[in-house]
Amino acid sequence: MGFRVLLPLLAACLLFPLLLRNTIATEIWIFAILALAFNLLLGYTGLLSFGQATFSGIACYVAGLLLKHYGLSLPVVMVAGVLAGALSAGVVGAFCIQRVGLYFIMLTFAFNQMAYFIAYQWTDLTGGEDGLPGVPRPPGLEGGLAFYAFTAGCFLITVAFMKRITDSPFGLVLQAIRENEGRAAAVGYDVKRYKWLAFTIAGAVSGLGGVLYAMLFGIVPLAAVHWLRSGDIVFMTLIGGSGSLYGPIIGAAVYTVLAESVSRYWDRWPILLGLAFVVVVLFFRGGCVEAWERIATAGWRRRRSP
Amino acid sequence: MNLSLVLGQVLNGVVTGMLYALMGVGLSLILGILNLPNFAHGTLYALGAYLLFATATWAGSFWLALLVAPLGVALLGAVIELGGMRRLYAAGHDYQLLLTFGLALILEQVIILIWGPIGMSLLPPRGLGGAVDLGVTFYPRYRLFAMLAAGLLILATWLFLEKTRLGAIIRAGIEDKDMVAVLGVNVSRVFTLTFALGAWLAGVAGALMVPIRGLTPTMGADILGIAFVVVALGGLGNLPGAMLAGIIIGLAQSLVALVWPVASIVVIFAVMAVVLLLRPQGLFGTR
Repeated sequence: MGFRVLLPLLAACLLFPLLLRNTIATEIWIFAILALAFNLLLGYTGLLSFGQATFSGIACYVAGLLLKHYGLSLPVVMVAGVLAGALSAGVVGAFCIQRVGLYFIMLTFAFNQMAYFIAYQWTDLTGGEDGLPGVPRPPGLEGGLAFYAFTAGCFLITVAFMKRITDSPFGLVLQAIRENEGRAAAVGYDVKRYKWLAFTIAGAVSGLGGVLYAMLFGIVPLAAVHWLRSGDIVFMTLIGGSGSLYGPIIGAAVYTVLAESVSRYWDRWPILLGLAFVVVVLFFRGGCVEAWERIATAGWRRRRSP
Repeated sequence: MNLSLVLGQVLNGVVTGMLYALMGVGLSLILGILNLPNFAHGTLYALGAYLLFATATWAGSFWLALLVAPLGVALLGAVIELGGMRRLYAAGHDYQLLLTFGLALILEQVIILIWGPIGMSLLPPRGLGGAVDLGVTFYPRYRLFAMLAAGLLILATWLFLEKTRLGAIIRAGIEDKDMVAVLGVNVSRVFTLTFALGAWLAGVAGALMVPIRGLTPTMGADILGIAFVVVALGGLGNLPGAMLAGIIIGLAQSLVALVWPVASIVVIFAVMAVVLLLRPQGLFGTR
């Protein structure tokens, strides 16, 4: 993978803590990881999952519980969280990929609600509505900047991993499925197996995001597994643009900064969020990346014309 | 655990199951003909409930409210279809999902702004209060009415789809809307009408549910997944399927509530998983 992809992101990683509050900067990369995972499904495989919070949420609880009650070391917690994400996505995916189109979307959402209600009801384990407080950060990551650097590192590794996957023969098969499922099957690919693998990989990466989220605020809130979070992830990816590697990352940054600045002033801010969804859908389909490209090409043409 | 308790829960299961089915039927029509993920369906249900509450307390008549509230929801459904949905039929499911989800967020917050974040309740109308002696157990009269009303509405919707010309057009549209358009039917008007009808059914379900479960701002989001389960199990545009699916999960929910109350919502999704394991295409599904 070339420097051209990583260099701007590395620059952003170094720049953000200077421009934004530390927690916001950290949150941006966590959401970027979640959006990248989701985009493997939407952008590359054509699978619209409305249940990504299931997997990041479960990983978040697993990491929170392991850190709080057992004080396990960082690598163990990371591996456990990623495995929890992959495992839950593997099970849920095995059900959901049996169906296509609207059914697939509805099933991912239904499983998300199931996970949410389990977390909501099982108060002994999860703390229910109050969340799971008192999650300690592992030694070495207590400081805000240290944790930011660690998260940014995880993010860069995720980008490299995703690029590696989407450029691989496996990634090309996924794109073939997105373009024409019937033809991919006719050529001899086991479409369901590929979809399931993509779903499980996305679950594992979401698991990584979930682990980081548990450590960020020292609490696992019930919102971590709420379907609203799944909606946020879809929204980030779409405002950024699902057609490119950068799109979801830009979307995550834009969304996090906006949501943070608005939610501080108004309790009913989801109205604005909903309005933003509607406006983007009706007027700015294609997202930031496409809008930017349109502006850029327009400028380029103007310069070229005499 | 005695017989009257079990029978009461079985009846509860059928009552809520019929209301789930009513909601699922509306969703099923919208999804079937418009082919878009309607994440606002739950909020339309909630809106039906709140409009009933507002009208009933303002006009003092439950019956008037039961008539007016669903019509208000149907009107809103038509406006949503004409104002936004219409422009997205050619777009992908991702953008359609975002639009309906955005609308759901807005409506839920509007409900909180108008009626506050705290739950409310409403007594059944006079004449439907109290309980009926069924021999083995006493059962609330209103719930029997709700069950009957939901059943009749599903039957009426089924008759409308099977026996009228417009119903035939809707059914044909679910199969192949391009062909219907080629045959000279004004499809876009059918779309608006179907969306309004689906919204109306959701509004009725919400309104009927008020004296049973009361009102909370999140009631719409909470029931959305259940409506999805009904449609996923029953099949798009399949009314008997939706009814059977609704009753199955309603029964599962109320019977599990007897032995393990905290698991009563989760069991709905467990039933869904089991059915999908045995029949991935749903109860009657072909796709």
